[in-house]
Amino acid sequence: MTDHRTGTREEWLAARLELLDAEKELTRRSDELARRRQELPWVRIDKAYRFETDKGTAFLADLFGGRSQLLIYHFMFGPEYTAGCPSCSTIADGFDGFAVHLANHDVALSAVSRAPLAKLQAYKRRMGWTFPWASSLDGDFNFDFNVSLTEEQQREGGEYNYRREAPWKVRGIGDSLTKRGEGPVAEIAAMTGTDTATYTRQRPGMSSFVLENGVIYHAYSTYARGLDGLWGMYQWLDRAPKGRNEKGIWWRRHDEYANHGTGAR
Amino acid sequence: MTDHQIVSHDDWVAARERFLAKEKEFTRLREELSRERCELPWECVKKEYVFEGENGGETLAHLFGGRSQLIVYHLMYEPDWNIGCESGSFWADNVKGIIPHLNERDMSLVAISRAPLEELRAQAKHFGWTFKWVSCVGNDFNLDFNVWLAPEILARGEAAYNYGSKKFTGPSRPGISAFFKDAGQVFHTHSTYARGRLDLLPGGVGEWPPAAKTPFCCASR
Repeated sequence: MTDHRTGTREEWLAARLELLDAEKELTRRSDELARRRQELPWVRIDKAYRFETDKGTAFLADLFGGRSQLLIYHFMFGPEYTAGCPSCSTIADGFDGFAVHLANHDVALSAVSRAPLAKLQAYKRRMGWTFPWASSLDGDFNFDFNVSLTEEQQREGGEYNYRREAPWKVRGIGDSLTKRGEGPVAEIAAMTGTDTATYTRQRPGMSSFVLENGVIYHAYSTYARGLDGLWGMYQWLDRAPKGRNEKGIWWRRHDEYANHGTGAR
Repeated sequence: MTDHQIVSHDDWVAARERFLAKEKEFTRLREELSRERCELPWECVKKEYVFEGENGGETLAHLFGGRSQLIVYHLMYEPDWNIGCESGSFWADNVKGIIPHLNERDMSLVAISRAPLEELRAQAKHFGWTFKWVSCVGNDFNLDFNVWLAPEILARGEAAYNYGSKKFTGPSRPGISAFFKDAGQVFHTHSTYARGRLDLLPGGVGEWPPAAKTPFCCASR
């Protein structure tokens, strides 16, 4: 039998009700944060960022696709990667399903990466995704929004998640990326066909933009664990009896599991 | 021009950093709740529920599909409805891509509705859903897990839901229940209802209540 504490329905309910109060408090806190997020000031974007997309060369305004709001997922897929980051891929598995709903609510959702468009297109086909994905290879976009570092920035200590990181040689890797040390990062880097240094010159994040009267404003960006709430599978695992239950990098791309497929059994 | 406050990049970063401290506090609070949730006691599930699925009659234990954890989404779809609830369908679009990852973590995810299996099959086919979806029509499962009201209770207009008393005009309500199986015994570990479900959508709550101003879109259908 199990080692976990078991009880009668009444005992379970009493404990559940106690947790419910705490859960409701968290929900209200989340509402308050969402309000404050919307109250942040905006910054006008004056640079003409160019992207390569399925529809040809595009400006940031084009990524709005006729909507007034744009959410960009900064997908880690550097020019040297042979495949997209597996962690970003599990996040994309989530938003691929609901992007259509946002698109019908005046919100465009697009991924942006530095790899050339042909690589993004091939990987998107492999994963069976349909969301728009633009290449920012020939521009400053990823650097300006702190999700790509040059080799020099990496060596000297770049900026990520609103902090300046220690130089690469001293610390090995920006702790803010994983907080798990070097081993697991090297493992993920290998899954993208790169080494740790190359892999971590790209960083995960999301940014939001507004288009009003032809002017684009930057409204919000979040990085590192700020993405936790957007990583759908973790919200579900947090409700599973065993929680996240992790001892290392267990996830793979959805077509790399031994019994990959529909989830039905 | 916009009415929103516009600032320089440096001022934006300063405001963003102040807000970041708040967000981090929230992340830590959420971790604490997840820990507490795992520590909740479990209750034995003693009743034998039989569902209609692709493999014929399947028990709750079967729905684990050989894994030790099961999460059930109580998807609102009554036998006399033409289609499942929109918010349940929105849920399905949210989770369909992440199920293989949950499976890898020893967890099965199954949707359960009261509509007959043929109707579930038709809707799944229409939307291209491939997750497991079984019918609980004819058993007490949704009743016991507080997501369905018997007609005599519904006639009273008020019933227990989300661990409190609420007014209802329709028989079914949305929810999520988690189970654990060990040595053949099934335990009920957790159930969440109403807004508790929304934290399971990546990105959290967004607009609530929805523009329609009805907490549950199908309540009056």
